[in-house]
Amino acid sequence: MTQDTHSRALANRLAPVALVLGIVLTTVAFLLSFLVAPLVLGANVAQTAIIGGEAISNKLLLSQKIFYIHVPVATVSFGALAFLAYYSIRYLATKNQARKPFFDTRARIAAEVGLVFIIMTMLSGDLWTRFEWGVWWVWEPRLTTYLILMLLMIAYFILRTAIDAPERKATFAAVFGLIACVDAGISYLITRFVPTSIHPVIFRTDSGLSPSMLVPFLLALFGMALICFALYRLRLRQVELNQRLESLKLQLEEN
Amino acid sequence: MDPVLAEIYSTVLDAAPFVIGAYALIWVVLLVYVLIIITGLKKTEKQMALLEELVASKK
Repeated sequence: MTQDTHSRALANRLAPVALVLGIVLTTVAFLLSFLVAPLVLGANVAQTAIIGGEAISNKLLLSQKIFYIHVPVATVSFGALAFLAYYSIRYLATKNQARKPFFDTRARIAAEVGLVFIIMTMLSGDLWTRFEWGVWWVWEPRLTTYLILMLLMIAYFILRTAIDAPERKATFAAVFGLIACVDAGISYLITRFVPTSIHPVIFRTDSGLSPSMLVPFLLALFGMALICFALYRLRLRQVELNQRLESLKLQLEEN
Repeated sequence: MDPVLAEIYSTVLDAAPFVIGAYALIWVVLLVYVLIIITGLKKTEKQMALLEELVASKK
């Protein structure tokens, strides 16, 4: 057994474990975020009330609880797209024709899983926007670049379906995938580039998250990353099995 | 209810459907995708087993 086959078999065995562990971690994060993490403070109110031994003079915001799932899902979507970029570059860089389908398949599946996470980010973010900002959509830099990213990822699959020649399809998709990843980078960094952006800057050293808020957030982040890995491996296993099946069918027909 | 407490908690109930909706939609999308993958995987494995049987019977 080669090193490649051995690591592939190990990753396939780890996928269901990662899926279960991911579900457990995100469930624990969900419980902690609602039962342990405090409600954040909103606008000031006229008087002060004592709640749980603390003087509170602000409105309490439940909507911030979306943060515990929305940010991990969004972060993982960027991670999946990093894999799309990696495999697209490897596809374009390799001179070994036999290895090209290997990188193309992985790039396609990373894009597919990435798109699923992008859709989840859009849905959860939109519900938060509707409640907090009172509208379903705002043409704000982060939201706009992320919407463009979603449209680019949809276009990636349309492009793949539109081209018949396998090598041409894979080359065009790799280039297009890289363009989408550039937008992903812009979308990730835009809240730092554009100070007027109303979307909060995530992942900064002065976030001031208390441990009771940071722990559920990190658990959800690791849980979602594990779920993403498991989905990627399961889908890859299905696609590779399908490719083997098709080649066996061809061999049988030829014989 | 105390009017101060009522004001402090005024947005909590209104936000609940949006928070529940966000969590529910994320899990529904994930569940649908997992089901699609598992159904496809099972179908492919079944076809593979049939093909292997066919090859064995030809030998």
